[in-house]
Amino acid sequence: MTAVPLAPVRRWISRTQSSHRERGATLSSLYIGALSIAIIGGMFHRQVAEVFWPPAPDASALAAGSLVAVIYGLLYLALRRFGPLALSRPAASWLLPAPVSRRRLLLPSLRITGIVAAAIGATAALAIAGHAAPRAEAADEVALLVGGGALIGLALVLIATAAQAGGRWGEALDRVVGLVFAAGLAGLVASTTLDDAGSISSWPSVTTLGLVVGVAAVVVLAALAVVIRGLAATPSDRILEASRTAGTLFDTAFGIEPSFLTDMIERRYWARRHLRSTSLFPRLPVLVAQDVLLTLRRRSRLLWLLLGAALPVLLSSAPGWVLGAAVLVGCLVAGTTATGNVKTDAGNPVLLRLLGLSSRQAVLQRLWVPGVLAALWAALALTLLDVLGDLSSGPWWALGLVLGPMGAAAAVHRARVGFVRNELLPLDTPMGTLSTGPLVNAVMGPDMLLLGIPAWIAIGQGRLDWSTVLIQAVIAGAGARFYLVGTTGDDRTELSH
Amino acid sequence: MVDHPAVEVDGLHVGYGSTPVLVGVTLTVPAGRGVCVTGENGIGKSTLLRCVSGLQQPDEGAIHVFGGDPGATPEFWRAVVTTVEPPTWYPGLTAREHAELVCRAHGQDPSSAGVDEALERFGLATHADAIPPSLSSGQKQRLVLAIALLRPSSLLILDEPEQRLDREGRADVAGLLADYVAGGGSLLMASHDDAFAEASGAAITTMESLSAVTP
Repeated sequence: MTAVPLAPVRRWISRTQSSHRERGATLSSLYIGALSIAIIGGMFHRQVAEVFWPPAPDASALAAGSLVAVIYGLLYLALRRFGPLALSRPAASWLLPAPVSRRRLLLPSLRITGIVAAAIGATAALAIAGHAAPRAEAADEVALLVGGGALIGLALVLIATAAQAGGRWGEALDRVVGLVFAAGLAGLVASTTLDDAGSISSWPSVTTLGLVVGVAAVVVLAALAVVIRGLAATPSDRILEASRTAGTLFDTAFGIEPSFLTDMIERRYWARRHLRSTSLFPRLPVLVAQDVLLTLRRRSRLLWLLLGAALPVLLSSAPGWVLGAAVLVGCLVAGTTATGNVKTDAGNPVLLRLLGLSSRQAVLQRLWVPGVLAALWAALALTLLDVLGDLSSGPWWALGLVLGPMGAAAAVHRARVGFVRNELLPLDTPMGTLSTGPLVNAVMGPDMLLLGIPAWIAIGQGRLDWSTVLIQAVIAGAGARFYLVGTTGDDRTELSH
Repeated sequence: MVDHPAVEVDGLHVGYGSTPVLVGVTLTVPAGRGVCVTGENGIGKSTLLRCVSGLQQPDEGAIHVFGGDPGATPEFWRAVVTTVEPPTWYPGLTAREHAELVCRAHGQDPSSAGVDEALERFGLATHADAIPPSLSSGQKQRLVLAIALLRPSSLLILDEPEQRLDREGRADVAGLLADYVAGGGSLLMASHDDAFAEASGAAITTMESLSAVTP
């Protein structure tokens, strides 16, 4: 079959689309984008400089190595999650099945992804060097390191592109990179607890760095050529899936509605799983049994949650109130591990009607598993902080356990929030118009963390006694109880507020 | 509950904007009997069923289900099962587990309620471990009907239950609905298939005959 030249088709589409736009709309968008970056850059350039190049190096060698694993690992996982090769939804519908060159069709996507990944890789390299490298006149070394970072970013795009077109090795590699990312997080935690995590005392020589970066450049360019040659072999279903992801991502951004993306990720996760029916735990209330089953089926998420209990340690040198807030937010995140079913019921009560349960019965049962997860997570996180000496001795494990009802109420409240209400009146501020819908949506769930104020103060001060634990237990328990009574009824099934 | 008809509709008016859909509709479904409403597409069958299910408020008229108002109360939904709404499914729960969940919520033992037999009867035994969103539309329809018939209820409100079923499946479902009515249950359904309605043991009535004025 003869391939139709793609360039004239793209030009025609572009011309036709332009004719429907307002005159100068693209230029205006570019102007506003550039102006916004300039204004934000002008306002925050000191903070940005502090992030990328602080006055003195403040990270150990272990922290720098861990940051490499975390940032580049995350970049790879993000590339895999979003494609990396994707088309716009119209292109996926009309051009993918058309007799045009598949390689030429996908090249722009590879080009854009490559540029973005290289930019992120270079920026990350600059930041890591800025935090860990010694302060000396080292312009060439910095330039080479930044170039090396860009090459790593580009290499990750090429590997992810090959994995997108390849077989099951891609999934195995995802797991390996996930482990690297987890190891990086563990390394970061370790670097804050070790007295001597090593430091980088000198730059590598320009010759060595130049050689390494030069060889890497040759290898990456050769790999780029191979990937471009094989672009046409990327299966259509993978491109379609990535295109749907990209479309949903845009919908999420423009509609300021994160549930579009989270729902899609959830649907895809379960569609890939091969489940075997099991009996719901007969001794537990039916919805508790269902939540337990759902949670046990997401073991990898439980493992991440377990690892995440060490993350507050990273904030041990931050102000106490930041550490306290992080623990409370962690409770909310831990609780949301088991709120997928509440979200389903809140979105559409069809199943609750079939179950014949009142909203009060349903929410009461749905609070249990998130509560247990939040309690265990907080107990573990606070015990770790206690053991590592970031908090003075006290019954921190008990404080964690009594935070469970607060975490449960916050997580269930968050799951019941529903879609962003874009009909709410916007607020005029000196900085411009502020949409209140997304703002209200964002605070629902986190607002319940106010029930953890006693714990927040105790963590902030680093001191704890049993009376504080008792006060926290009463406030969290009573708050969850009021939440249940105030937002549900025995005479209705609907969970939405 | 048995002293009252299963469904009593009197002088029901429903319109969408300025377009009247139901005008003076009157209908009675005696307890322990089945009624099937037929009529062409767009005549208001689903609207009628939604109103009887309490999922849509009529503009005028009275609706009583077992002598009470249709509503959102758990008591109502313990007595009434409807397939008027498109179903949603819980994440990470297989077809069999959905059936078991519903049985257990109604205090039934899944084995003695016959979960496996129901899935077998509806041709879903080989799909018991599938998550419902991965099933075809016909399989989802059969799963909804299987669950609707598994759990205890006094009234079934079904919107075109024969849709997306093959001929054999229709005969099976009709037989099960006839058994449900014979066992004392009440049935209100909308259908395009007179033979299916007859096999279900339901008395057939047309939407035109229920309306005071044909819209």
